[in-house]
Amino acid sequence: MSGVRSDDESFNALFTAEYARVVRIANRVLADPHEAEDVAQEVFVDFHRLHSASAQYAPAWLHRAAAHSALNRLRGARRRHQREIAQAVQESDRTLDPQKQLEVDEDRRRVRQALARLAPKPAAVLVLRASGLSYAEVAQALGVGIGQIGTLLRRAETSLRKEVTRGTSE
Amino acid sequence: MAHLNDGTLRRMIDDPDARAGADALHLETCAECKSRFEAVSKDALAISRLLAVPDANVNVARALQLVRSAPEAQPRFGFRLPVARPGSRPIVIGLAAAAVAVALMVVALAQGGVVFAPSSVTPVPVTLADMQALSQLSSYGTVTWTEKPQVQVATSAAEASTLSGLQAPKVASLPQGVSSNLTYVAMTQATAEFTFSAAQAAAAAASTGKALPKMPSGMDGVKLTVTVGPAVGEVYGNLTAPTGSDLSQANLPELIVGKSSAPTATSSSSQVTVKQLESYLLTLPGISPELAAAIKAIGDPSTTLPIPVPIQYATSSKVQVQGVQGIALGDNTGVGSGVIWVKNGVVYAVAGTIKQSDAINIANNLK
Repeated sequence: MSGVRSDDESFNALFTAEYARVVRIANRVLADPHEAEDVAQEVFVDFHRLHSASAQYAPAWLHRAAAHSALNRLRGARRRHQREIAQAVQESDRTLDPQKQLEVDEDRRRVRQALARLAPKPAAVLVLRASGLSYAEVAQALGVGIGQIGTLLRRAETSLRKEVTRGTSE
Repeated sequence: MAHLNDGTLRRMIDDPDARAGADALHLETCAECKSRFEAVSKDALAISRLLAVPDANVNVARALQLVRSAPEAQPRFGFRLPVARPGSRPIVIGLAAAAVAVALMVVALAQGGVVFAPSSVTPVPVTLADMQALSQLSSYGTVTWTEKPQVQVATSAAEASTLSGLQAPKVASLPQGVSSNLTYVAMTQATAEFTFSAAQAAAAAASTGKALPKMPSGMDGVKLTVTVGPAVGEVYGNLTAPTGSDLSQANLPELIVGKSSAPTATSSSSQVTVKQLESYLLTLPGISPELAAAIKAIGDPSTTLPIPVPIQYATSSKVQVQGVQGIALGDNTGVGSGVIWVKNGVVYAVAGTIKQSDAINIANNLK
């Protein structure tokens, strides 16, 4: 293999390495694999338009963009509820009895609403970490020091819990 | 030893390496930290359950094909025009207007070889139809970035300054009701070349079923080089920067304060006169007679930056800002307003969902 890759090769390599993870991040936010793939593809197209795939910051940029685009969709979409339920029934574990399934769906919807109400940074910290990114990767994606991640994560978890509780009591 | 903070405790849950050394020893022996550690663990577990989702099965090869077949990057004049319909928030229209500003600049510029370097601003009324028509200009030739803009979100004014090379403007005081949640955005200088093509213009017109005015001879192949930025902006509000060109996906900011080196443009040809270029562009399908008249009325097109004012949505007036003449848009209802001015080769803008008097006040006190 030659030391210098063409732009195309770099982009293909970046895509192959990161696509699944970018989808996972978006899916964590949207709980909808199809919509998550839409978001992931948009993110890659946007990236391709403006950046070089061999840029060092490429993965961090993609992760951040995936989280923020998905969160923006979540905030923008008021009629997601119905789709989400249909999707969840289709995709999730069908061995649950219907009553239990309804509860899972309801929880999932409530959590998404709560997530949409969080400020962008805490929401992104939660989503990126829950998608399996390491502390170092989360820190890079958000442009903060790795030493801050524990604190940001803890605060974000507290906020999300409050928002979920608020959503339940409303 | 002081108690462990929440962040350290939280990290200990995820990272076995963090559970070593003095911190771990402290945790073992401190009842208070131990009980907090348990609470933090419980929350972390509860949240990870709440955020659990069914896995997405992806077909990477197929997805790559889809992304690869997406239309190749086509830089346009400014941004993609967000779909504008009555009732759209004025600030979205404002962003569309910003896109059109660049297009208008191309319309109003360009004596052969003369550099367009604006030192003042003037309002030009445009309709939505004008905007649509102008945004189609990019299909009348080939646009290539010779220098792509790199837009980055910065975490501090200092970082934004380093990225853009411009000192970030400082707002003296925020009007009531505007969030102090501040995001810095920096853009590097970008240069795009637009080459007019008679063949492409004809094809573009044919595809929309519209007749195209005849291109003046000598215009085919004329190259315009437009330089924009660098720019630095401060965005107030609870939002995230749009990740791409789709502005409708972005949360709307409450206040934007921006500063950019004034755009410049040069033309490669001295054969096509500015009058010819102007008359040609102003007869394109969709451009209203009012816009054509307003552009023709600009005294010296090489030193005046036309600011499009969407007439259905905004009114404009001339105001004194920082000792120079600027344009104020919008009104005092707080629905939306903005101020734009040029000083010492730098274009400044203040805009947001604020009253016009607040916008002018911020503009005058901007440092």
